[in-house]
Amino acid sequence: MNDSLVIREFLQTLLSRKGDQGAFLDNEQLIAGGRLQSIDTLEVVLFLEEKYGIDFAENGFDQNEVGSIDNILALISRR
Amino acid sequence: MRIVPQLDTYPRLVRFGQTALGKAVLLVAFAVGLRLNSGFLYPHAWQEFTGAVALMTYFPARRRLLLSLLSVLHMLLFHSMWLNSDFLEALAKAEGQATDWTLPALVAGIIAAIFLGFVRLFEFIRRVRTPSMPFVAKRPVLCLVTGYAAVLAAAALLPLSGMIRLLLWAALAVVGPYLWFFAYALKDATTKTPDGITLQLGALRPFWSSAVDVFTPVPKGAGNLRRIEARNPNDLSIAQLKAIKLLIWTCIVNASLHLLQVFVYGAPSHVLSTLGWGIPTLRVPEISVASQHSVPLYLAWASVIANFASTALYITGTGHVVIACCRMAGFNALRNSYRFLYSRTVAEFWNRFTYYFKELLVEFFFFPAFTRYFKKNIRFRIFAATIAAATIGNMIYHFLKNFAWVAEVGLWRALMGFQEYAFYASVLGLGIGISQLRNADRKRLGDDAPWWRRALATGGVVSFFALLGIFDHERSYHFGEDLRFFLRLFLIPV
Repeated sequence: MNDSLVIREFLQTLLSRKGDQGAFLDNEQLIAGGRLQSIDTLEVVLFLEEKYGIDFAENGFDQNEVGSIDNILALISRR
Repeated sequence: MRIVPQLDTYPRLVRFGQTALGKAVLLVAFAVGLRLNSGFLYPHAWQEFTGAVALMTYFPARRRLLLSLLSVLHMLLFHSMWLNSDFLEALAKAEGQATDWTLPALVAGIIAAIFLGFVRLFEFIRRVRTPSMPFVAKRPVLCLVTGYAAVLAAAALLPLSGMIRLLLWAALAVVGPYLWFFAYALKDATTKTPDGITLQLGALRPFWSSAVDVFTPVPKGAGNLRRIEARNPNDLSIAQLKAIKLLIWTCIVNASLHLLQVFVYGAPSHVLSTLGWGIPTLRVPEISVASQHSVPLYLAWASVIANFASTALYITGTGHVVIACCRMAGFNALRNSYRFLYSRTVAEFWNRFTYYFKELLVEFFFFPAFTRYFKKNIRFRIFAATIAAATIGNMIYHFLKNFAWVAEVGLWRALMGFQEYAFYASVLGLGIGISQLRNADRKRLGDDAPWWRRALATGGVVSFFALLGIFDHERSYHFGEDLRFFLRLFLIPV
């Protein structure tokens, strides 16, 4: 499975746990749009640390860097 | 059934809002909505805000630039809205300095110097994004907040007098209301594609911030404005219809607040006050416990509940007005308070009640702690980061906000008077931390759960916040009385 699908599956699980079964585009801003909250963001951080070995302590953390599939893919390719 | 119709989901209305006539109708509706809710605003604010959003509605391509221009003009012309002039005048008198034209000139000079300094710092941080960048560029917000706290401590502790003391406190008074706005701008400067300083100025206390006395950036900084800005006429029409919808909600909140004042508290200024139940405000029963002339227990409980209701309505109303202005200006911001009475957990309530204050603490305290410390133990990592935000960050935010009080009573006395808020923030942090850990692996109690389970969950959450409200005092020397009052509610003798 490619990264895009892995991330989509993870975000879909996160949303469905909140009762949100709606579809979303790769570039949809899930945090700015209010579909994901800070408590969900920390789960995204844990997922990216574990799966991709990203260390956010080094360069600081911006919630919006993990706000959409496109942003997460860009983050993975940068680090 | 919806109390307020979802105006932004009606395609014909959205199309109408894009026409010249539609825009005019929405602006008139906005002006009427603000006028009806003027109790939440300063006098004449509704005319100024309507004029400002009208400009931004008819020149959408220049929206961000107009926001910068209008916000800078607002800062300069209406500085009494954010600058504590009474404090500075009293300080000048106490230090034997002139209070004629020289004081405003001095303050204007300080404002200019601070903003020039900020622009240079912002540009420096934006330019110097290399692996070997200096610490101030790596952690600008940490440097800003600790720097401000250090100057505050120095001003309070050093044996200064005369012009130097006045200058130091005036600098603190200018930076204080901008502290967290600067923080968001510096945070944006560390990102890959930050806005330039011209657009940042629009997010440093945007004109709608003066609607209420807030130190919290709503809706966060320029980075967020960039993401939520309407991209086309359709987006703008939807955002503006959402603004009108929010103002209709505000009318309901406003009416409820008035009814509460008249029928629950029996506000003496009102003609119907004799119909009121005469429930004492929270401070009255607390003091009467201290003087051993206690009010009956049922009135004490009623006072706690009424205090929660009035605080919730006031925070909701002011937040709605600010977000309505922001949406009308073309930025589709999330609400500050959103269906918090549907919260099933303490953490969920806090997220929904004062969203932007929570976001500030999450951004500048929770994530810096979460991404750096206790990585080996996930549960403790979440708990420690929650305490860093809801307790420590919360205390830092509120103590720094009260700089004028520190000048008035001195640092040690101010710290003594802050004990009660420290207790409040500690219990809040523990409550949210435990709530997060308890619910981390559980599915949210949904609307399909039995009504009694939902009612029980919501009732528990509301009770927690209503009781905690007894201790929500930033400048208090009545901690002991408040604690006795709290214990007496549960028939615990003191």
